[in-house]
Amino acid sequence: MDKKKIAKVASFRYKILAIIFLVLAGGLVLLPKYQKQEGIKSEALLSHANSAERYISTDQIANKIINQDPSFILIDVRDEESYNNYSLPNAINIPLKKIFDEESIAYLNQNEFDVIFFSNDNFYADQAWMLCDRLGFKNLRVLNGGLNKWFTTIINPTKPNDDMPDQAFELYTTRKASSMYFGVAYPDQVITDDSSLKTETPKQVITVQKKKKKAAEGGC
Amino acid sequence: MKELEKVKRISIVSTLFILAILIGVLTFERPKNMYAINTKVTLEKLTANNYLISLNEINNPNIILIDVRSQFEYDKGYLKNAINISTPDILSQENQELFKEFKDNKKTVVIYGKNPQEANIPFLLLYQLGYDNLKLLAVENNYLQNKLITSQSEIEKPIADIKAFIDESTKNLKTTNTETDKKEPIKKVITVQKKKKKAAEGGC
Repeated sequence: MDKKKIAKVASFRYKILAIIFLVLAGGLVLLPKYQKQEGIKSEALLSHANSAERYISTDQIANKIINQDPSFILIDVRDEESYNNYSLPNAINIPLKKIFDEESIAYLNQNEFDVIFFSNDNFYADQAWMLCDRLGFKNLRVLNGGLNKWFTTIINPTKPNDDMPDQAFELYTTRKASSMYFGVAYPDQVITDDSSLKTETPKQVITVQKKKKKAAEGGC
Repeated sequence: MKELEKVKRISIVSTLFILAILIGVLTFERPKNMYAINTKVTLEKLTANNYLISLNEINNPNIILIDVRSQFEYDKGYLKNAINISTPDILSQENQELFKEFKDNKKTVVIYGKNPQEANIPFLLLYQLGYDNLKLLAVENNYLQNKLITSQSEIEKPIADIKAFIDESTKNLKTTNTETDKKEPIKKVITVQKKKKKAAEGGC
């Protein structure tokens, strides 16, 4: 009796096996859903966002521009109108809305230059940073305080009071000198200083090479 | 005898196969906090929707205030009925459950920090995780003699017209004595190489 039963089940053995494999194969369909997640993990994104490293100060930027450091590009994420009115020297205008356009991606997703986002303060710049960082773009920074801080620290630095420490005066002199570089003129300026104003910053040519997608090569 | 050998081999192989799949399934690490929307959709939503809320709109029983400052600052003072979830803890399991609960109960979650910039990060992160019941409170919190002062703040408002300021300073100088060259804004020459579309090469 038992033997008969076993034989009966055994005659189905291939079908049973086939069904088990089919069910397991069905399970595989469910797995890749998690991998459809675009970009880096949310935990990693949060820890990147919390690190202060992603900010760059206005003094650092002023210094870089004056020294003609070729290693960075400035991205102005404000609208075109504000960009045309005033922007940092050599900045490229990519309004926040357009950061994922094909031409913009070429600037943002490359390894040659540091990308520095800025806007009026760092609200929109942070948003641009956050979206690009999630996609895993490298070397992204945000100008801390944006153009408002740029104005209060570099363009129009406040004169320190007499009772402030030496460093404050040193910082003020540096900032004042940088503001002259960026076109601000002071009434107490010595005339010989003017030569510094006349020197034009050389044009910087930035070539961003797009990653070329290779055409599918033929098999066989 | 030959048949038996065959069956034996098949069963060994299939057991191994099933085992491999089981191990794979069991050890598969499911990402804890998953994005619900991709970056493009996020950007579209950000630019299309108004996610800001002002101070006089928060006196609504349907609104839940989240304070993303540190515990220390929260203890010094906070807005009425606010819950403290500081930015680094925002993805912890219990907090995520809390946010889920708020979403299921159709509450509006309003995030605020020391300033809108500070609230921006947790807001954007939660937004990408799919919580669309989020708002950002555009306020600045300062302390005056250990008392919390909350004031409305405007986001991305330029504090000064920098170009006008620079022009003004050069103009002042001209009227006094010297001449200065007005600096022309330097246009950057940028060459972007356009992607060439290659014709698909044929396979076989």
